[in-house]
Amino acid sequence: MKTTSRQLPSFKPSRRWLTPGAIAVLLAFAVVFPQQVAKDNVWNLFFLMCLGIAMGQSWNMLGGFAGQTSLGHAAFFGIGAIITRVLWFHGTPFFLALIVGGVAAATFAMIIGAPTFRLRGAYFAIGTLAVAEVLRITIAQNQPYISTMPGSMIAEYNLPSRYWLALGLAIATTGAAYMLLRSRWSLGILGVREDEEAAQATGVHVLRHKLLALGLSAVFMGLAGGVFAFKQISYYPEAPFFPTFTFEALMIAYIGGLGTVSGPVIGGIFFVVVRERLAANLTDVHQVIFGALFVVIVLLLPGGLLEIWDRSKRLALRVIRR
Amino acid sequence: MQSFMQTLVFGIFAGAIYGIAAMGLALVFGVLKILNIAHGELVMLGGYVGFWAFSTLGWDPFLSLIIVIPAIFIVGLILDRIVYRHIVRQLGEEKIKNSLLVSFGLGLVLQNLAQALFTGDERSVQVSYAGEGLNIYGVLLPWTRLATLGIVLIVTLALHFFLRKTYPGKAILATAEDYESAELAGINIGRVYMMTFALGAALAAIAGQFVTFTYSLAPSIGMTWTLKAMIVIVLAGTGSILGALPAGLLLGVVEAMAGAYLAQTYKEVAGLVIFLFVLIVRPQGLFVRK
Amino acid sequence: MPDFLNVDAINVAHGDIQALWDVSLEVGQGEIVALIGPNGAGKTTLMRAIAGLHPLKSGTVLLRDKALHALPAHRIVEQGVIMVPEGRRLFGGLTVMDNLELGAYSKRAREVRANTLELVFELFPLLAERRTQRANTMSGGQQQMLAVGRALMGVPKLLMLDEPSLGLGPLVVENIFETVRQMNQQGVTIFLVEQNARQALELAHRAYILEQGRIVGTGLGDELLRDDRVQQAYLGICPAPEE
Ligand SMILES: Nc1ncnc2c1ncn2[C@@H]1O[C@H](COP(=O)(O)OP(=O)(O)OP(=O)(O)O)[C@@H](O)[C@H]1O
Ligand SMILES: [Mg+2]
Repeated sequence: MKTTSRQLPSFKPSRRWLTPGAIAVLLAFAVVFPQQVAKDNVWNLFFLMCLGIAMGQSWNMLGGFAGQTSLGHAAFFGIGAIITRVLWFHGTPFFLALIVGGVAAATFAMIIGAPTFRLRGAYFAIGTLAVAEVLRITIAQNQPYISTMPGSMIAEYNLPSRYWLALGLAIATTGAAYMLLRSRWSLGILGVREDEEAAQATGVHVLRHKLLALGLSAVFMGLAGGVFAFKQISYYPEAPFFPTFTFEALMIAYIGGLGTVSGPVIGGIFFVVVRERLAANLTDVHQVIFGALFVVIVLLLPGGLLEIWDRSKRLALRVIRR
Repeated sequence: MQSFMQTLVFGIFAGAIYGIAAMGLALVFGVLKILNIAHGELVMLGGYVGFWAFSTLGWDPFLSLIIVIPAIFIVGLILDRIVYRHIVRQLGEEKIKNSLLVSFGLGLVLQNLAQALFTGDERSVQVSYAGEGLNIYGVLLPWTRLATLGIVLIVTLALHFFLRKTYPGKAILATAEDYESAELAGINIGRVYMMTFALGAALAAIAGQFVTFTYSLAPSIGMTWTLKAMIVIVLAGTGSILGALPAGLLLGVVEAMAGAYLAQTYKEVAGLVIFLFVLIVRPQGLFVRK
Repeated sequence: MPDFLNVDAINVAHGDIQALWDVSLEVGQGEIVALIGPNGAGKTTLMRAIAGLHPLKSGTVLLRDKALHALPAHRIVEQGVIMVPEGRRLFGGLTVMDNLELGAYSKRAREVRANTLELVFELFPLLAERRTQRANTMSGGQQQMLAVGRALMGVPKLLMLDEPSLGLGPLVVENIFETVRQMNQQGVTIFLVEQNARQALELAHRAYILEQGRIVGTGLGDELLRDDRVQQAYLGICPAPEE
């Protein structure tokens, strides 16, 4: 079989790091630590990490597993955000609003998925980018005013509730990515990534597998958008459609290790911690540093942090054996 | 409401800027076979150089092209050296995918760099003769717009002459056709790639300079210009570098008409919808060169 | 011992698959050396490696004392080592004249371009008539002439041809081979890859046989023509039936 993905090191569906022990420690830390410290900035930091993990996992389902590079994930994030917020502000119970937001994002994904998946590789990427921009510009022009929570909601606003929700989402998304890889669909999805024609030839229904990955990916990106809408007191409705959100999602997937389940978790934590540090000290240029870091990762380290870990492990073993 | 003719004319003027921006992107895509999402950021940077020349030296925006072009040409050389050269060496589908990802990241770098250096404020250049121009049967042709169109036509012709009639230009076309054959002919393709990228950047910068007095400038305008340029090269059909001009004019007119006869809010969207439509109906036909 | 082109123990791989194993060969100045072998033996790979289009895993390629393997392809051209690639690979959208001019892109060749052009037009008068025609609108035979003409424009000291007869009728092949012989008489060293083993061996002074990435035989051209094994494998001659 022809291997088209030189960029993806031959990662097997990875369960590394997701050993029960590591999960338990990580979860315990995520639950106990913020409560112990109980400071706003810690709640915030942990919230952002969880949101980042969810976004990274979402992008990774499509971009990492199925190999379809989307530059338009901000569209799903934005749809989730706007639908959730509008319904919620109009009296829909929040959880219902959130679910509807996620479903709306997935529905939109399915509608655009069938035509854009006729586009291969690069064309898919710029097609999705264009779709997201169409949405962003339309929203910016139709909803030009800032959206702020009503006073009653601000009165009962509390940060921990936002965090628990984000943590729940991060767990759910990671769980979904894990199950996707263990499902009977995974072989087909990975096959599509490795070699679409070969997959087709062996009887894989390529479009169906791509749509599955896209749908799941969009649901979780939409939910992440809903959580964003739940957290932010005020923002321009256009904001969640900014390409930065696409970039954050794919950046996290790349930093951690594309095509793995633990990658986005590691990537999300690393990305948010470093970004917040940089943002605190170097307000102006932290995005510059991140952009540059991303460029370096794509060019020099396509396996992300997990690859560093792997390489150093192998190196260590070799040294020990000598 | 302005007359149909006036709408058409303004559409053409806007389209000239789209055309020259897209020509740079098409050139880079045709020769290096990469898609540079950060192309719009080069438009933006060119605009800032021109704005700087205007605000500190008091130069006329058309005069300052003589520093805008070389400045961004050099930026192009540098970007090729430190970033794009590494992608150009890769092969196949991976190459174009990585070019998208990397230039997406690079676009963000440039945008935020501009934000840090120039703040997020909107800037624009006001020339003393801004409102003046020809009036032909009630259709206004401002001098600034006429000069823009004139320069775009001159640059297009010059580029045509350069590529078709000069040795270095032919080396660029040869490399675009078959880079291995070009190497076997003794052409240093690394140098060709670098020069071509810088040339594409310079074309973007010219567009950027026109933006400063036609629209307004902000660090965030890059993505919009990248998309405009992409729409245009999809309309033109790839492989066609100079075809970017008529395609750009077409986009300008379509947008102007949509803005005038549908709603102002659909102006931007009209172009993107056409783009998606063309991309989906003729995905390979327009982007792949036989 | 030939002291012109020296290929010493080169190993070349396509990704993980090794295509050449410790290949060594020599081409003396003024010689015509042919390389024959079955499909997929690695002939093209070997030529591309010499021309600098494909990196070596190990081994050296020397032209006299100059290490070609350390140079990028366009610098190898500058040294006078010029290859006509398999399948011609012209600049199809450009004119005949553009193709020829581009063949003389290297500095050394550019200086004598006008003279070389005359020479090429003498060899292939047809190219002179067709100078404004677009290359991809020409027939296969005409394209091969142009490919050889383009290479000659680079003023080769060593001319490498990868299957110049591919897909061509016998008359055109004869013409191309005749040109090669003429060029050789004017002092150009020739390294030739051919499927068409008989004609190649008739033309060449010496030849190498490459099979599965390894050199498995070498000898003088007419020696190999008479060799049983070569006759059987490459010349389509069956051994006399045994009683
Ligand atoms: N780009 C490539 N990627 C992977 N493998 C390749 C590539 N090019 C050649 N090969 C392999 O290397 C081996 C040698 O190929 P090569 O083209 O050198 O053979 P050849 O002797 O020129 O054959 P032919 O007579 O058919 O032209 C073959 O097994 C081929 O499949
Ligand atoms: Mg061959």
